[in-house]
Amino acid sequence: MTATEASLTARLSAPVRFVLGLGLLVAFAAAGQALVTVTRLPLPGSVVGLALLWAALGLRVVRLHWIAGAADGLLGILGLLFVPATVGFIGFLSAGANWGLWLLVMTAGLLLGGGVAGVLASRLVRPGQDGAQA
Amino acid sequence: MPWIALTLIAFALGVVLQLRVRSPLANPTLVATLIVAGVLLVGGIPHARYLEEVRPLTALLAPAIVALAVPMYRLRALLARQWRSLVIGGLSGTLVGVGADVLFSRVLGLSGEAQRSLLTAPATSPVALQLAQFTGAPPALAATLAVLSGLVGALILPGFLTLIGVKHPLARGLAIGAVAHGVGTARAREEGELTGAASSIGMGLAALLVTVVVAGVSRG
Repeated sequence: MTATEASLTARLSAPVRFVLGLGLLVAFAAAGQALVTVTRLPLPGSVVGLALLWAALGLRVVRLHWIAGAADGLLGILGLLFVPATVGFIGFLSAGANWGLWLLVMTAGLLLGGGVAGVLASRLVRPGQDGAQA
Repeated sequence: MPWIALTLIAFALGVVLQLRVRSPLANPTLVATLIVAGVLLVGGIPHARYLEEVRPLTALLAPAIVALAVPMYRLRALLARQWRSLVIGGLSGTLVGVGADVLFSRVLGLSGEAQRSLLTAPATSPVALQLAQFTGAPPALAATLAVLSGLVGALILPGFLTLIGVKHPLARGLAIGAVAHGVGTARAREEGELTGAASSIGMGLAALLVTVVVAGVSRG
C-alpha cells in the first residue's frame, strides 16, 4: 500500500508535484490559521502551520518529497515576498532623522544578541564528525 | 498587473546585481524595494493602491513561512545532536537581542510605533509582519525594520564574530540566524553548508521565540 503510494507520487511530473506541494503548504497555513482562530491564541497562523507541518513530517503523515520542491521554490524567493511590505517604508519617510536612532538601536541589538548566541553556542557545541574536532 | 510585473522584474534585477557585486548592499529585497518605492514616489501612487494590486504575491507569505519546516526537518539529525548548543545559544541570543532593542528604544525615548516595530526586528520579516497585529506596530514599519535588521546583521555580524573569537561554523551560523534571519542566512551560506544550516535553525528558533515573547507581552 505504502509502496504503491510512493511509486505513484514518484511518477508525478515536477510541475504537478510543485502544485501538490504548494497545495499542502497552503493547507497547513490554513489549518494553522483555523486553529489560532478557534483557540484564540495570540500566534500567527503560519507559525502554527509550520509546527503542524514539522509534526506531520515527523509522523510520516506527509512525505518530504511531496512538498520539497514547492518549499525550496518558495524559500528561494522568500526575499521577493516581503517587497510589498517593505515598500511601505515610503509612508515613514517623514520620520527623517529618527531613522538614525532606529538603526542605532537595531545595531546594538544585533551585536549583543549575535554575540551572546555565538559565544554560548561555541561553548556548548559537542565535538564530533562535523569537521571541527575539539 | 503592471505593479506585479515591476516587483518581479526589480527583484530579478536585484539577484543579477548580487551575482555581479559581492556586497551585502546588493541585496535583492533592498534593490527591489528601492526601485518600486522610487517608481511609486515619482508617480505619486499611494502605497495602499500598490498593496491592493500585488495581493497575489502577499498571499504566498503564509505558505512560505510554513515551508521553513522543510529545511528544519532535513537538518533534524544535526538538531538532535547539537540541540543544547543550538537551543540555548539561539534562544539566549534572540532574547538578548529583543531585550536590547526594547531597552535602548525606551532609553532613547523612541516613539511607541518605533518601539513596537523594533520588538519583532530579530524575527524574519513575514513573522514580524504577522505579529504586527498583536504588537499594534504599523505592519509596514515592522516589516521594513525586520528586513533592515537582517541586512545590517549580514553586513556587520561576520566580522564582529571573528573579532570576539567565535570560530565554529555552527556557532557563527546560529548567531547570524538568531538575529539576522533570512538575509543573514543567505550571507551565512557563503561561509559553508554547516554555517548556513545552523543559521536557518537560528532563524526558526528566533521566529518561534519572538512569537512567544510577543504573545506574552500582548496578554500582559
